[in-house]
Amino acid sequence: MKRRLKDRNSEGILFVLPALIYMIFMIGYPLIYNIILSFKNLDVKTFKGNTAIFVGLDNYKAILADEVFRKAFGNTVQYTVFCLLIQFTIGFIFALFFSKKFPLAGPIRGLLLVAYMMPMSVTALLGRNMFGVTEGVINDILLNLGMIQKPIEWLISSKTAIWSVIIANSWVGIPFNMLLLTTGLSNIPQDVYESASIDGANGIQKFFYMTLPLLKSSMLSVLMLGLIYTFKVFDLVYIMTSGGPVNSTEMLATYSYKLSFGQYKFSMGSASSVILFLCLFVVGIGYLRLTMNEEAN
Amino acid sequence: MKTENNLYRESGNVVVRKWLCTLVAVLIGALFLFPLYWLFITSLKSDREIMAKTLTYFPKDIVFDAWKEQIKDPMFVNSLKNSAIIAVTAMCISLSLGIPAAYAMGRFQLPGQKLILLVFLVTQMMPSSLLLTPLYLTFAKVKLLNTYVAPAMAVASGSIPFIVITLRPYFMNLPKSLDEAARIDGCNAFTSFLYIMVPTIKTGIITVLAISFLHGWNDLTYSMTFNTNSDMRPLTANIYKFMDKYGMRWNCIMAYGLVLVVPVVTAFVFLQKYIVGGMTAGAIKE
Repeated sequence: MKRRLKDRNSEGILFVLPALIYMIFMIGYPLIYNIILSFKNLDVKTFKGNTAIFVGLDNYKAILADEVFRKAFGNTVQYTVFCLLIQFTIGFIFALFFSKKFPLAGPIRGLLLVAYMMPMSVTALLGRNMFGVTEGVINDILLNLGMIQKPIEWLISSKTAIWSVIIANSWVGIPFNMLLLTTGLSNIPQDVYESASIDGANGIQKFFYMTLPLLKSSMLSVLMLGLIYTFKVFDLVYIMTSGGPVNSTEMLATYSYKLSFGQYKFSMGSASSVILFLCLFVVGIGYLRLTMNEEAN
Repeated sequence: MKTENNLYRESGNVVVRKWLCTLVAVLIGALFLFPLYWLFITSLKSDREIMAKTLTYFPKDIVFDAWKEQIKDPMFVNSLKNSAIIAVTAMCISLSLGIPAAYAMGRFQLPGQKLILLVFLVTQMMPSSLLLTPLYLTFAKVKLLNTYVAPAMAVASGSIPFIVITLRPYFMNLPKSLDEAARIDGCNAFTSFLYIMVPTIKTGIITVLAISFLHGWNDLTYSMTFNTNSDMRPLTANIYKFMDKYGMRWNCIMAYGLVLVVPVVTAFVFLQKYIVGGMTAGAIKE
């Protein structure tokens, strides 16, 4: 019996091995390669001559002193913080709202998810169009409603461009947060609420003393997952603003890309994406712990 | 004790409140779907209406000029073909590696199971910019740049963890007796997987099939990086080229965007229930 069990487990290995090897080749190897590259001086010249050598921490020193990199880092943090604030708060309110029983609650909640599933490149395309100064529909509506006196220079001004991108991303992020929090809400057993009602708890008390504590782990995982996805933003920014005007929407991912494939400074780009990865990794460990605990149960 | 009259009034209030909620929900829905509506109607406007000083919220005359122009544009047709090929290739790689892996993770006690799961979870967090340079240099060496395989392979590395995490619970929840019955009927591990297990979890399979197709369809970064030749690029990666070409002719650009949205909306309309459930399980978005 024992032997048979062992046999079948070795069969299991055969099923998972191809995927595992694939992942190691496609993710593990590039990760290590990238870290090595960040300590070398590979650019278009040394690549052609095959003369790249190790330069220690030079790339990191250079990148940390680089004005644009610092700007990109600040932008990424600003973008992430505000996206998370908006999408989590509104997503949470929507999740609570749509979990009430009223006609069309389900279908409308479902429709909101279309925004979440759209290709980011189309979201960006729409953003470029709708945030236009004179031809854009957002300014037109705001002017018609009398909320602004003159058109806002959304994508043209280096002050407002990042807010345009944040708003565009919230369109995607709110349904995403709503979806995950809805699942968390539906996992709370209803009888908990019923017994609280019998004990005389009102709606606000129920929310603060029951919903919030019971939702803690799903809220945490939504926030961490959201942070990971938001922090590595690329598609949306690349197409909507391409980092401009004057680097005001440059992000870590877009700047790494420009270093590597715009200026062919591969090692500099690698150093920059390693820093991006380290930031994600810190958050990621928290997320992994949470998920692995859930998986174990 | 409540009188009948009181009771009646109370339920009346509840009904009013419910419909008020519906009204708010409809407004939220309208706000969120407005960009899609805008995409659609802009693509139906004429050039003159696009260039006019005042914006129209519904086209004065609905014309299909922008659509016709796109269909006739060889670059558009070619990009569309590339999008489809890359998405299908990525989907095939992802499914053929991901489904067996999910099966193994769900049905077997593997040595180092936790570690393997960790590998799949970690890959969720990788920014694609981390993979671009090493993969670019590797693909350059083996002459895979400007092919369909290169972006498809990279996209699959994101879809496989999604498939494993989404399908593992499906496999876990299948009754143990199913394996045993299959074995008695003379199936080996492979045939029982293929003919018994996979068909039983059809809904899960549909979810990962659709999502892994969409991952490939939506990809911008990998295609843009590995395929420098615009003839090999999908719709997403050629957006800048089209914006240069059509300038302010937003009707053409929106018609282009509309085509990119079609598979998403189709998948959504037909598979909403499966996909939403599956996405929640995996909680992954590329």
